[in-house]
Amino acid sequence: MHLLLFSVFASLSTCHYVAEKDENQDHCHLMRQWTESSSVSVELRKNGFHRELVTTVDLRPGAISSVKVLLVHRWPRSVYIDPFQIASLSEQLKLQILLDSAIDLEVPAHKTSGFVTYVYPSYDATPPTLLKVTVPIHGRYHEPSFVGEAFTSVDIEAPELLLRADKCTEVKSIIPHAVVDAPCTFDNSSNCQWVQIQRKQEIGPMSLPIPVGDGSLEAPVCGITLLVTMICCMALSKHMWKHRII
Amino acid sequence: MERLVSGLADRRVLFVSSLVLRLVLVLYGDYQDRTMEVKYTDIDYHVFTDAARFITQGESPYNRSTYRYTPLLAWILTPNVYLSMMFGKILFVLCDVLSGVIIWGSLCLRGLRSETASWISALWLLNPLPMGVSSRGNAESILAALVLGTLYCIEAQHLLWAAMLYGLSVHMKIYPITYALPIALALRTRQMTAEKDPGSCWWKKLIDFIRSFVNRELLLFACVAGGLFTALTALFYYMYGWQFLHETYLYHVTRRDIRHNFSPYFYMLYLTADSRWSQWLGLAAFLPQVVLLLVASWAFHPDLSFACFLNTAIFVSFNKVCTSQYFLWYLCLLPLVIPQLSLSVKQGLGLLLLWFTGQGIWLLPAYFLEFEGYNTFVLIWLAGLLFLLINSFVLIQIIAHYKPAGRAPRLKAE
Repeated sequence: MHLLLFSVFASLSTCHYVAEKDENQDHCHLMRQWTESSSVSVELRKNGFHRELVTTVDLRPGAISSVKVLLVHRWPRSVYIDPFQIASLSEQLKLQILLDSAIDLEVPAHKTSGFVTYVYPSYDATPPTLLKVTVPIHGRYHEPSFVGEAFTSVDIEAPELLLRADKCTEVKSIIPHAVVDAPCTFDNSSNCQWVQIQRKQEIGPMSLPIPVGDGSLEAPVCGITLLVTMICCMALSKHMWKHRII
Repeated sequence: MERLVSGLADRRVLFVSSLVLRLVLVLYGDYQDRTMEVKYTDIDYHVFTDAARFITQGESPYNRSTYRYTPLLAWILTPNVYLSMMFGKILFVLCDVLSGVIIWGSLCLRGLRSETASWISALWLLNPLPMGVSSRGNAESILAALVLGTLYCIEAQHLLWAAMLYGLSVHMKIYPITYALPIALALRTRQMTAEKDPGSCWWKKLIDFIRSFVNRELLLFACVAGGLFTALTALFYYMYGWQFLHETYLYHVTRRDIRHNFSPYFYMLYLTADSRWSQWLGLAAFLPQVVLLLVASWAFHPDLSFACFLNTAIFVSFNKVCTSQYFLWYLCLLPLVIPQLSLSVKQGLGLLLLWFTGQGIWLLPAYFLEFEGYNTFVLIWLAGLLFLLINSFVLIQIIAHYKPAGRAPRLKAE
């Protein structure tokens, strides 16, 4: 009897093991498929200093549960992300962000440097086939132009798409060239192995024009500003003195 | 007697209704935040709450970047984390209504009838601007209540209270430091200044003038206000170190925000931010402010409310950085000044319209720069200068139509 029971257990667990292995291979197979079929497209929305970078991730032929998506943005110093804004909007935006460095929200572009963000879109179990990720970004003030340019053009690169499936554990042996290390989750500093999805066609950077001051106006602007403030100061002083109550 | 009762009823109706209106706005704000994309709550409110959260975790509130206020504010707002996000807004709204009540009290103290005082304090209590600001979660109403409280207590001869409120208000925001000179001038010994001996030489007059500042009232005020300010500063320096001094005080003093704002100096400071003239231009911009503050303090210190109103309006208009929340700093003192103005309603409304037009003319190019990406720097600069001219014109009109209390203290409109 005991022997029978044991053999039943043994066969059950083997079945389970086989099924798991199949699933593992399925997931790895899908990962490999994605490296060829999935794509990323980006779009810059709104105008002015406050923009939205919308990334659409196309996970054809279809996503599976427990697959994790990570978008790695390399930002130029001309823009910044407000981590507190992202935190307060995280439910609405359906994403979490990890930054590689602290961000000063106020300094002009030439007094800071670029940074990297790891964007983790949140979804219930399975990501949709078309995943839209919106990241609010803000332009920084730039040095005035002394050559008569009214705008400075900032290039925003499309993000890299990284994927990870817990159930595909042998990812490195299957797709060795495309495996990179990146933080596992937004609140975990330990690294995981992610599959980097190569872009099918190179997406050129998007251009974000940012208005800059006209440096050639320095002298007249200073002169007129100081003149007007002096005139206002003298007029006010004169009237205050005239109507003084002591 | 009947009159007294009706006046009492009037002001109670006014105070209660202005509180209810604000609470309704707070509730509406919560609804809008939950349902709409455009949020009602001020971004600063989230800054305060984040800083309060750091406090509850035993950390420094300055871990929240752009938190540039006293830690006291974050301490006061810790119930935002423990109880409800509404707590701070309800506190701000209460301070806002309290400011209106103090305005009413100050006007009554000056001998205005309760009914008249109610009408004038309604300019604050039923004003959509402070209502919106406090219900959106901006902390300016605390400052308004502290500053108005200081002036009320000085007028009511409660010097100890006045000194404590003043010390606290300078600790909360540094701009009330500009009231130090008019307060000192108002508290000095009057008899000695009244002695006008034509025969005495200038140095004797100078010594008499300096001696007039040495009296019990002024010393008490200076010691209590200065002591409280120093104690709070020392306490927070001990707790949070250099970062507290830098973020709360030094940042505001050395602030060189080159991003567009209402200040007439904005474009000049932006264009010269990295030039070697930068320091000198900063000084040149500081000079008119100092001169005007000295003149206003001297010329109008017998009417402390008016002197403080002028000082604040001058400080804000001639400042190197100016945003719309700064306007509340002097608008809360305006109701104290209005009974002394001989302007007709038409003239008053005309000046108000002019002031709003000045803001509108600035806001238009600023909107196109910030949200549409047009290069409108020159227009913003010109609008900033025009706004300064308008502010100066409005202030000159107010000064020219000012009748000191006791001579013609009634509003023509009534």
